[in-house]
Amino acid sequence: MNLRLLRRTVAAQRTKLLLVMVSLAFWGALMPIIYKTIGLDANIKRLFESGALPRQFTQFGGGDLFSLPGAIALGFIHPLAVALVAVFAVGFAASAVAGERQRGTLEVLLARPVPRRAVYLTLLVATLGFIGLSLAALIAGAIAGSAFVGLVGEVDLENVPALWLNGLLLFGALGSIGLAASVASDRLSHALGPTLAVTIVSYFLDVLGTLWPDAEGLRSWSVFYYLKPKETLIQGAQGFDLGLLAAIGLAAAVVALMVFPRRDIAAPS
Amino acid sequence: MAAITSEGLTKRYGHGVVPIRRTASVLALDSLDLEVREGEIFGFLGPNGAGKSTTIRLLLGYLHPSAGRATVLGLDTVRQSVEIRRRAGYLPGGIALYDSLTGRELLAYLADLYGRPAPRRAELCERLELGQRTLDRRVRDYSRGMRQKIGIVQALQHDPELAVLDEPTEGLDPLMQRAFYVLLDDLRAAGRTIFFSSHVLSEVERVCDRVAIIRRGRLVALEDVAALLARRRRRVELRLTGEVPALAGVPGISGIEVRDGLVTCHLEGDVAPFLRAIADATVTDLLIEPAHLEEAFLEYYADELAS
Repeated sequence: MNLRLLRRTVAAQRTKLLLVMVSLAFWGALMPIIYKTIGLDANIKRLFESGALPRQFTQFGGGDLFSLPGAIALGFIHPLAVALVAVFAVGFAASAVAGERQRGTLEVLLARPVPRRAVYLTLLVATLGFIGLSLAALIAGAIAGSAFVGLVGEVDLENVPALWLNGLLLFGALGSIGLAASVASDRLSHALGPTLAVTIVSYFLDVLGTLWPDAEGLRSWSVFYYLKPKETLIQGAQGFDLGLLAAIGLAAAVVALMVFPRRDIAAPS
Repeated sequence: MAAITSEGLTKRYGHGVVPIRRTASVLALDSLDLEVREGEIFGFLGPNGAGKSTTIRLLLGYLHPSAGRATVLGLDTVRQSVEIRRRAGYLPGGIALYDSLTGRELLAYLADLYGRPAPRRAELCERLELGQRTLDRRVRDYSRGMRQKIGIVQALQHDPELAVLDEPTEGLDPLMQRAFYVLLDDLRAAGRTIFFSSHVLSEVERVCDRVAIIRRGRLVALEDVAALLARRRRRVELRLTGEVPALAGVPGISGIEVRDGLVTCHLEGDVAPFLRAIADATVTDLLIEPAHLEEAFLEYYADELAS
């Protein structure tokens, strides 16, 4: 890893990181407030329990509005939160090398005595760091929101780090795939397209599986299936899910570490 | 010791590490044998697509050779490319810079990545007229010439043993070009080696000790610039008032034409036999056109020009 490159990368992303963190913290804080307003309303709860709405609609992505862990989970898996974390897991990761390559600045960076593996590892650490901070802001917002509405006691705070780790490993796996695509591509679109496709298809499969009982079997093909915020907040870390997500991220990292040092960096066209 | 050597260095594109789609393979560099001596300014000539950039990228480890091998400063270009880049400076052709940084921040960052001080930065900025106010502006606001100057400074600021410069004067005004040539002379005097890729023949002629000409990925000439020029055929015009001297048979003289006291001919090689032959003639005017690298270069590309 190269600390100078890391410092420069963080400096270049700090405004974006701050905006994403503030947005996620605000979004996270909103969930307990919504839970207190809607989830604890007996009439609304009766309406949902009456069967007037399909059961699946009350359990989107494994979250729900009728428990605080369920509400926090809903905020975690909501498309808005996913899109905000994907700014780094997909956007930053996919453009980290391919974007520099397309702009021509990779030439100047690789003219320095910095091994390509060090460049890759630095960018991987930066990606994981940005994702970790974004998720920490989301979770901190949720805890602050819970405290604000006086319900923080409904969350087992001991399980919060496991929730963070679950999110980090999921988005880290996507980030690792994005970086692998990035180091193998000469054009940003060639890296961003496949990474975005993996993320969107994966998310779609998970959502489809939760809303349509016949498609439930598809969920296990989605990386989002292995993000279990509600279960994690109630029962603690889900070992298999964490292990699988870590394995996916690691596999992508191994591919990137093999491809990047060996590939040719031809003159920009 | 040689600063750069290559033996049978070959690069064929179209065989990627991860072949996603099959494309026709292109031979970009074909068995290049080269030796650049320490402390010389070595010109590397060829039109676009001849293989200049491919050679540079192979030497600096951006590309992996398909065959052959090369060393830079005694280091293998495949296994020791990081160490090569630690001791070399590189100015890429049409350099792209981090636009959001100021010139000062950019130079500091790029020097920082070497992990050692940049002892020549202040001097280079002064010689290339990059003032404090310019350095405090963002790179995105720079003109082409200013970007090129920053590119030159970033390549030389850490005082490298070898500088690889790809089209270094592109975008520089004539005064700055002159300042740059003086800078190269000083680097040579300090024992630094310069690998200078260009298609501006006049500047290669002006600054380089030796020159290699590359054509379609193959080396077609490698010579001292002075020797190359000395061998060129030059046009001679001689105006006389008296008898025409006997020039036929003088070594290096050909194509003699005489008309109304004006003698024209071609001179190749040493000028001394010709001067001896006209020593007794009543010469009122004499013109020997200087030899230029351009003619030598065009000779190697004559068939392409014809087609």
